Amino acid sequence: MSAQIELSNIDKHYGAFHALKNVSLSIEKGSFVALVGPSGCGKSTLLRSIAGLESITSGTLKIAGQTMNGVPPRKRDVAMVFQSYALYPHMTVEENLTYSLRLHGVGKPEAKAKAAEVAATTGLSALLHRYPRELSGGQRQRVAMGRAIIRNPKAFLFDEPLSNLDAALRVHMRKEIRALHDRLGATSVYVTHDQIEAMTMADHVVVMRDGVIEQQGSPLELYDRPVSKFVAGFIGSPAMNFVPGVIGPDGMTVALEIAQSLSLPLAKRQEPGRKVLVGLRPEHLVIGEPEQATLRLPVAVVESTGSMTFVTTSTEPEMTVVETRRTLVRPGDTIGVSIAPNQVHLFDPATEKAI
Amino acid sequence: MARIFNSMRDGIGFDLILVGAAMVFLLALAGLPLVYNILMSFQQVDMFTLGELFRPLAGFTNYVAVVNAPEFWLVTRNTLIFVFASMAGQFVLGFSLALFFAQKFPGAATIRGLFLVSWVMPGLVVGAIWSWILAGDFGVLNTILKAMGIIEAPIFWKSDPNFSIWAVVIANIWLGLAFNMLLLSVGLAAIPRDLYEAAELDGANAFQRFWTITLPMMRSTIGAVLSLGLIGTLQQFDLFPALTEGGPANTSNVAGYWAWQMSFKLYDFAKGATISVMMFVLVLIASVVYVRSTRHEVRG
Repeated sequence: MSAQIELSNIDKHYGAFHALKNVSLSIEKGSFVALVGPSGCGKSTLLRSIAGLESITSGTLKIAGQTMNGVPPRKRDVAMVFQSYALYPHMTVEENLTYSLRLHGVGKPEAKAKAAEVAATTGLSALLHRYPRELSGGQRQRVAMGRAIIRNPKAFLFDEPLSNLDAALRVHMRKEIRALHDRLGATSVYVTHDQIEAMTMADHVVVMRDGVIEQQGSPLELYDRPVSKFVAGFIGSPAMNFVPGVIGPDGMTVALEIAQSLSLPLAKRQEPGRKVLVGLRPEHLVIGEPEQATLRLPVAVVESTGSMTFVTTSTEPEMTVVETRRTLVRPGDTIGVSIAPNQVHLFDPATEKAI
Repeated sequence: MARIFNSMRDGIGFDLILVGAAMVFLLALAGLPLVYNILMSFQQVDMFTLGELFRPLAGFTNYVAVVNAPEFWLVTRNTLIFVFASMAGQFVLGFSLALFFAQKFPGAATIRGLFLVSWVMPGLVVGAIWSWILAGDFGVLNTILKAMGIIEAPIFWKSDPNFSIWAVVIANIWLGLAFNMLLLSVGLAAIPRDLYEAAELDGANAFQRFWTITLPMMRSTIGAVLSLGLIGTLQQFDLFPALTEGGPANTSNVAGYWAWQMSFKLYDFAKGATISVMMFVLVLIASVVYVRSTRHEVRG
């Protein structure tokens, strides 16, 4: 497989603000890559740099092997789906779809046939003669998608395309976009601040923070082996619990600095007496009998959604435990909790990097 | 009494009072003079009947007399030149400036604001300034044109029958430029930035973006600017007394100024009223276009 989009040592300055810091990223042909991170992390700037809507200060950007630094967006052959959809309000759906074809001198009958074909794939066939203002949010989103598909570009760029939709539609469109990507064999770069979108849709997730790529890898790699506290806390829902602790004298256990705790066994030997930050995913904590469990935790709040129960403890800092079985735990109870040794994450309290 | 007071406070009567005040104002200061003007155009008005409301009816004789006046076609031609050349100049230059100042460069907003100077200046002052600029013997414009080698002999802009109407057109373009630029700037600013980005990614170059995004998105603004420009140009009066007084030999006379001359220099009020009624019909058409274009605004 060859890299469809190749970024090497990209830097971007806005005046004194350093938006992208030495970003290198290789996007394989046919892959679906998600750029994820909190707002202001540079993910949108990176996407817009690929599109050519922002210029890069230094570094090399290649699309399909060609260096694209300084090439205007219209000559990059990439399509973008905007958060606002950016549909042309004075054009019908059909005119919106065929706009790029008409600009490239495609004849009217051919453009119309192509629009009909794309409308069929995106479920817009009945709406071709409507104006964007007459469409619902989901329909507008489809038009924006269709406008990108019709050109058969080298890459699709998505800038938070689902954030203006309601929750149910968002889940639905998530699957549709991914299915479309697979059907077209396209190369997609998808920017989102929603880690669930990134995890469910992408083959490769890039977590960004303050203009730097914090970690990249497959969704499960990021989930299983986060390199830092930031990635560990960002990926996974509900978020990972972080509790300060100290490695035991034998190096094979860690004692948590919270009330009524016992030591947790570790999978790998650590430096005895070292202060660490222990990361425990709520869904990895298993509630059992207090006598046989490794941790005993007082319960503050119990929230049940039917399929799952969220238990929040009254420890400092508080911890969340997710239980999928029915449980009779009530606030005020003390629960026993166990966790497998290989599911305990350790971070350095100073650098916040994984140990 | 308390009930009336309460209903006013509840807003039931108060809104009627607000609407009523506006209606009284409109009727007294615009409606009645208009009706009186139309009435007068169908009457015989002379020094002896000046103070009366009901004068001997004249039917269409005033209209026939105006159309048959020797200067009628000259004034019509001048009015058309004045209106269309002014509007075209104001619009094209105003749009160009609006596009220019829509680019991001340091001081763009400030310099655009300074352009309003021409708009806040009284027409008579603008006329006086342009009267000096256009002067045949010592004017700046002739000096510049001569220095650039475009003309050899000075042009007597205000007294040459071939140029006199253009002298007023030039001054009027300058006067209305800022207003056009400002309205068009507002229209440009209202077009979402991401439409241009989407068009750019779709493969549109700068000219195609202007043609397929800017112009259609500006339709209602352009309609409003053109109709307001038509009304403003037909109303223009101040520049004429300051520059040419309609001369020489009516070669720069337009309908509005001619109507004023008829009424207040020749005291032929009936003909003055007749010319104004003819102009009113034109302005009415422009107003309808204006109201319709603002009603059909398309955004988002």
